[in-house]
Order: sequence, then structure tokens, then C-alpha cells
Amino acid sequence: MTDGLQRWASTAAMVGLSFLLTAAILQVSGYGVGDVFSGVIEGSITAPGAASSSIRWAIPLLLIGLGVAVGFRAGFFNVGGQGQFYVGACAALAVTLGWSDGPAPLVIPCGMLAAVVTGMAWSLLPGYLRVRFGTDEVLTTLMMSFIGALVLQYLTAGPMRNPSGTGQTAASERIPEAFRITDGSGVSTTVVVLVGGVAALVWLLLERTRFGMTMTLVGRNPTMARWQGIDVRRVGLINFALSGALAGLAGAVELYGPAGRLVTGFSPEVGFTAVVVALVGLLSVGGTIVAAVFFGGLQSAILFLPIVTDLPSPALVLLHGMVAFLVTVRFRAARRQRAASGAEARAS
Amino acid sequence: MTAPRPPGPAGGPAVRCRSLGVYFGAVRALHDVSLDLAAGRIHAVVGQNGAGKSTLAKVLGGLQAPKTGEVHIAGRRLPAGDVRAARDAGFAMVHQHFSLPPSFTVAEALELTAARGGSRSIYRRTDLHRRWQHELADVGGETALSTRIRDLPVETRQSLEIVRALASEARILMLDEPTALLTPAATDALFERLRRLRDRGVTVIIVLHKLREVAAIADTVSVLRDGELVLGPIEWSEVSQGRISDAIVGSAPAAERIAGVGAGETPRPGLSEGPTPPNTNKRTLLELVRVSSRESAFEPGLRSVDLNVEAGQIVGVAGVEGNGQRALVSTIAGLQPVTEGSVIIGGADATGVSAGRRRLQGLRLVPFDRNSEGISRSAPLWLNQSALRLIASRRQRSPLVSVRGLKRQAAEAMDHWRVRYDSVAQPADSLSGGNVQRLILSRELAPGLELLVAAQPTRGLDFAATGFVRRSLRELRQQGAGVLLVSSDLDELFELSDRLVVMYGGGVAARFEAPYDPSAVGDAMTGAVR
Repeated sequence: MTDGLQRWASTAAMVGLSFLLTAAILQVSGYGVGDVFSGVIEGSITAPGAASSSIRWAIPLLLIGLGVAVGFRAGFFNVGGQGQFYVGACAALAVTLGWSDGPAPLVIPCGMLAAVVTGMAWSLLPGYLRVRFGTDEVLTTLMMSFIGALVLQYLTAGPMRNPSGTGQTAASERIPEAFRITDGSGVSTTVVVLVGGVAALVWLLLERTRFGMTMTLVGRNPTMARWQGIDVRRVGLINFALSGALAGLAGAVELYGPAGRLVTGFSPEVGFTAVVVALVGLLSVGGTIVAAVFFGGLQSAILFLPIVTDLPSPALVLLHGMVAFLVTVRFRAARRQRAASGAEARAS
Repeated sequence: MTAPRPPGPAGGPAVRCRSLGVYFGAVRALHDVSLDLAAGRIHAVVGQNGAGKSTLAKVLGGLQAPKTGEVHIAGRRLPAGDVRAARDAGFAMVHQHFSLPPSFTVAEALELTAARGGSRSIYRRTDLHRRWQHELADVGGETALSTRIRDLPVETRQSLEIVRALASEARILMLDEPTALLTPAATDALFERLRRLRDRGVTVIIVLHKLREVAAIADTVSVLRDGELVLGPIEWSEVSQGRISDAIVGSAPAAERIAGVGAGETPRPGLSEGPTPPNTNKRTLLELVRVSSRESAFEPGLRSVDLNVEAGQIVGVAGVEGNGQRALVSTIAGLQPVTEGSVIIGGADATGVSAGRRRLQGLRLVPFDRNSEGISRSAPLWLNQSALRLIASRRQRSPLVSVRGLKRQAAEAMDHWRVRYDSVAQPADSLSGGNVQRLILSRELAPGLELLVAAQPTRGLDFAATGFVRRSLRELRQQGAGVLLVSSDLDELFELSDRLVVMYGGGVAARFEAPYDPSAVGDAMTGAVR
């Protein structure tokens, strides 16, 4: 227990340190630190629409972040959420546009299912390479993300392009209003219930099922798991599928929720931020929810800040990057320490 | 001996050790070892695992500083634990596990690791090739210099290690178990090469396991046991193989030493559900029929192994480590595929059956390395204890489990086996070695057990814990389970086994029935001919 508390405390300390460092840099650059942080509070909570905007950004971060947490549980660093998110959104869009005269209560679940399946497939390819050939999944999932972004670009600029669109960036047609589950704000009871339900299911899977515990064993020590008769490859494949499913679902929610259409390169960092969300949340479901809301707020503030101050939004991106950096350092250091103490004990 | 014997550089022995001692905590890796090795000859060092052979090699090579004593090479005293000084004195080492970088080409790897001076930091590939072509030809190597190390067969990699060692103009060459991974033909080729080196005046020190190989190559032999030099160096021609084999194994009567230790504590394996009365039905629980498997990086594969274990029986597996014991256990566990033959568990063919199914059929395992294979060090005790329960009932019940229930069951089992712990949530690496083994036993020796494969179950345990594990195994036999006991502790095997097989080079070299003749078992382990 004290060990758990210590990990939370050191993570919180890293986030605090990021704020301090960012404040120092801003101060040196001649901005008023007080203005910046009051701007952050305003842009994420107090300004009209800010709180719901924070939630809106927290939702995809949470869904993808849960996928990352699931991956880590079995020892896989699946950082391909971005690509899985994109192809999921594309699949949902294809279903919806192809069946635009269908009844919403049928089309939307079908679209979500298509998104889930496509996200799974996008994640299973690196997953297969990992369990079969031992290919480093960090590289393959990352590369698959770039391919996913190009798929989106191709579809929105080609087959799914809105021919009457006038904007400079390629975008698809809007889906009919009947298929939207939120208004433009991106928050509605439906979405919150849906995402909350998914989070509860993930918690149940990880903490209360045989399979969740099997994943934990595989993640902690695959050799021991093998000796216990656990089919480590099968667990690995299912694990990759689950991560991909969650990120794909996030894509569908984005489409049916705030977006309503797909634009080339939309939400370009959400999949990567989600990795940081999961790490800050210490790879637990509850922690990931808290971290998703925090980063959602930050994202909302980034969009809001240029409106209220003369501060460029990269100032907050800096804060964001600082948190990502320091939390990753803390995480890697903890891992190394654990590995080192393990090696020591084996040698003796 | 017709080989020319050039005198050592200083007229004395090439290597002289005086009362070397190396201690790891309470373990005596080397104790009071003094020996002189004459120049220009081939000296074999033999002994069981843990006898101190590799430690001696490390001390000579400067990789390990001795606690006591000193080493002289060619008449000069070496500073303790200084690799460079040993190398400058002309001492070169070929390690047990190969050290050339796998992704390098032959020429690159040799240039990188060559011990001689004058390597330039910028080079031309053609120069590099020309230089090493010469060195390779010198030792009879025929390897393309542009081949990558990882694409080479084991024996070529090894001869490159030797080339690398000799490129520094070594006068003394030390090889630590060089034949462990070689086929007989490759071994012969290696020996031929070593003989030629000796004829050129190089002193060769070679650590070996098999007396047949010692007979083939050695001029003198020295035997280490429990860190002490118990025999030699003595001329090979003046000693019988039987005497060497006895020196290796030691001839102390075994069984009395252990009996009656820690008698207050009775193991109570939880096998109360339907115990089979002892020896009423001689069911065969495990049968291996001409099983062969592929070799791994560290061990030969199985070679046509026939083996069976009946109910109420402990079958011992003896052998010098690295003779296929690991392959045997992982093949039975279902972790390694067989290339030929069949594995029959509980009367049903299990050859293609998954590891998990075998567990469901009552196979239980105590793996070799308890800290990496037996437990997850960072996972909590209850999860470690529950591992088998997670798969064992996957099909019958709902996917949901009660964590509280698992924790309670784990606590009950661990209390039953007297694991000493504070909380079921503490990580497993907080337990001592003996307690980790109790944890593993509490998991494996649970109801449903039919057949136990125990690999080195008492290695590294203290006296009390060892006694406890041995009594648990006997209790299992009493209750009608079958036990396959793989151990390098001969005393343990003699004490517990109803029958004994000796593994050698991946095959079963000999079978014994109690009472055992230690020197006959020792001969089978080392391949000695009397």
C-alpha cells in the first residue's frame, strides 16, 4: 500500500515539477505567469463551455488511454492508438455513409462495431509480429499509426471527399444529424454513459476476471506464465486486439460525437497523449480517468488561451510535453530499478 | 608423449597458483588451491558443477580477484583481478558462452576484440580482410571473412574465439568447457587444433566434463571438488579413469548424512481427496517413447529418450548439467516440441497437447530456476499462488473470479505449507529462497496432482528447507503420485529415487536400481571407461 502511495506521490510531483519548469520558462520569456495559469483555469473550467470542452477532449484520451493501460497490463507498449483511432473513425464513417437511410439505433451500433473491428485489426498486425517474431511493438505500432494517418488522408482526399467542400483541408461529407450522439460540444448523457460503461467493463476485465489476472501474470513474468501452462501468445494477441478495439471505438465516438465528419489529420496528437495519460494514471483504470480529465482540461485550455491572452498556445503545449517527458522518465526509472533488483537476486 | 616440450619462458611452470581462495558469502568457490601447470602441455581441469572450475578460470584470467593466494604466469606475479595484466602476460581465455557480437562480420568481430595493440580507429575493409585471412589460415579456419557471426555454426564461432585469443600471441590458452556445445566431430577437430597449438609451444588449460574427452586430449588432469583441488595435476597416463571419477563424485556414504534432519516439521501436501493406496495399481503416469527434440543454444536436444514413471515411484534423473535435463523437463511440460517419438501422460498420448492441457491432466512442475520460472517476483503472493487456479477451471466456470476468494485460498494453502509471509499482497521477491520453494510447492502439490516433475527442487536451499522438500516428495510417493526428480545432487538422488537414469549428451546413458553404486553412476555421468 505504501508502495502504491509513493508511486502516486512521485507522479504528482513530476506533474508539479512540469508546472514549475514551464512557469520558469514563461517568466524568462517575459510572460506573466499569473495570467497564464489563470488562463488555464479559465480555459479548462470557468469560462462558458470550458468544462464541457474539457470533458469532450477527455473522452478520446480516456478510451485510447484505457487501451494503453490494458496493453501494459500484459507487458506490451502499444503506442499505436493514433492510427487505430483513425481507421476506426474511417470504418464508422464508411458504414454510416453507406447506410445513411438506415435507422439510427441500428446504424450507430453497426458503425461502432465496424470501428472496433477495424481498430482491432490495425493493432493485431503488430501484435502478431510481436508474439510470432518478437518484433518490437513500440516501433511497429508507431509506424502503423503513420499508415493509419495516411489512410485517413487518402480517404478524405479521395473516395470519401466531400465534393462540394470548399475548405483547403480535405474533409468528408457530414453524417446526417440523426446519427449524431452529441451536439458540437461533444458531450451528452449518451456519450458519458457509454464511455463510463466501457471504463467499468475494462476495470472488471483487468481486476476481476481470470483473463485479466492471466494478463497480469504474463506482463509480470512471461516465462513463469509459460511454465504455468498459460498460452502466452494467445494472451498477447487478445491483448493487442483489446487495445485496438478501444482506440477504434474512440474513433467512432469522435465521429458520431463532436466531429460529425472526418477531416485530414484531425486530433493529431490524441493517440500519443493517451499514452502519457495512461502512464500518469499509473496504468490503473481509475488513475487513467483522472489523468484523462486533467489532460482534457489542458487541451481545452490550449485552444482557449490565445483568445484571452496574447500568449501563443505552444506555451501550454510546452507544459504538456514537460509532463509527458518527466512522467516517462519516472516510469522508465522505476522499470529499470525493478529489472536491476531482479537481476541482482538472480545472481546471488 | 612425443610432443616437443619447450621450456617455459622463465624455466618454471607456465602457471603457478598458491593457496587461491574465493568465497561468496558462506560458499567456498575456491579454497586453498595450489597447482603448477607445466609449459607447452595440455592440462585438463575436471569436476562437478559448482566445483570451482569456472572460478579458477576467472581468477587466472584476471576476471575475479581471489580473496587469498596469488597467481604467477611465466614466473611473474599477476596483480589480482587485472584482466589486462593477465593478457599482457600472454594469457588468453575462450569463454563458456561466446562473446563475439552476432551482427558483426567475422573480420570486424576479430578486429574489434583482438587484444593486440596497433588497431587503428579508421580502416579499410580490404586491409582488414588481408590481415585476418592470414591469421585464420594459420589455425586452419576456412571461414569467409564477410560472413556475419550469427550465421556461423557453433563450432566455427568457437574456433573464431580461439583465433581471437591467439591473435594476441597468447602463450597460455584457457578454454572453459569448450566442448559443451560441440558435436563429436567438431570436438575432434577442436582437439586436433589444440594439439597443434601445443606442439608450437602453447600451454593449454581446458575445463572438461567428460572423461572420454579428457582421455582424448589431456597430458595432465586436475580434479576440483567443492572448491578444493582433490587430485592432481597428475599425468593422465599414470591414473585410472575410475580413480578420477571417484575423485569427482566423492565417495562419502550419502544417505546417513541427511536422515533425521528437521524432524519436528511434517509436510502435509493437500492430497487428501482420494489418495491412492500405495503400490496397489502400478499405473504408468508418464512414458517417453524414443523422444528426440531439437537442440537449444545451451544444451543438446533429446536423443531418443525412453523413460517411464509409475504411480508411487520416484524416478531420479542424474547427469552433469547441460546434458539434456532442461530439454527433458520442458518437453514433458509441453513447452518444447518433440521432433520424434511420443510423450504419454496418464495413459493418453500428450505429444501434441498444449502445456495448459497437460496441467489440467494433473501434471505439476517445480521448474529449474524458481525465481524466474517458478514465480513472478513483482506479482503479489496471492496471484503467484493462484496461477494454476486461473487456468485450471477456465472452461467450467464464469470468467469472473472473486479476488477475495483467491486470496483466502492462497492464504490457506500457504499457511498449510508454512510459507512465512506478512500479507498475501506482498510481492513474491520479499520471500527467502526456502520460502519461495514452499510457495511453489503449495501451488503445485495441490489436489489434482498425478505426476510431479521436480527440477533441482533443493538447489540453494538451507538444510532445514532441503529436508522439508525431500520429505514432501516422499510423502507424494506414499500417496501414489509419480515423481520425476531431476537433480545434480547425487546424495539426494540416491536417497530418494526408486530408480535412476543418467543423462549424457541428450540421451539416457545408463539406468540403475537401488542400491546404487556411486562410482558406476559417476562413470556414466562423465563417460568414464574403467
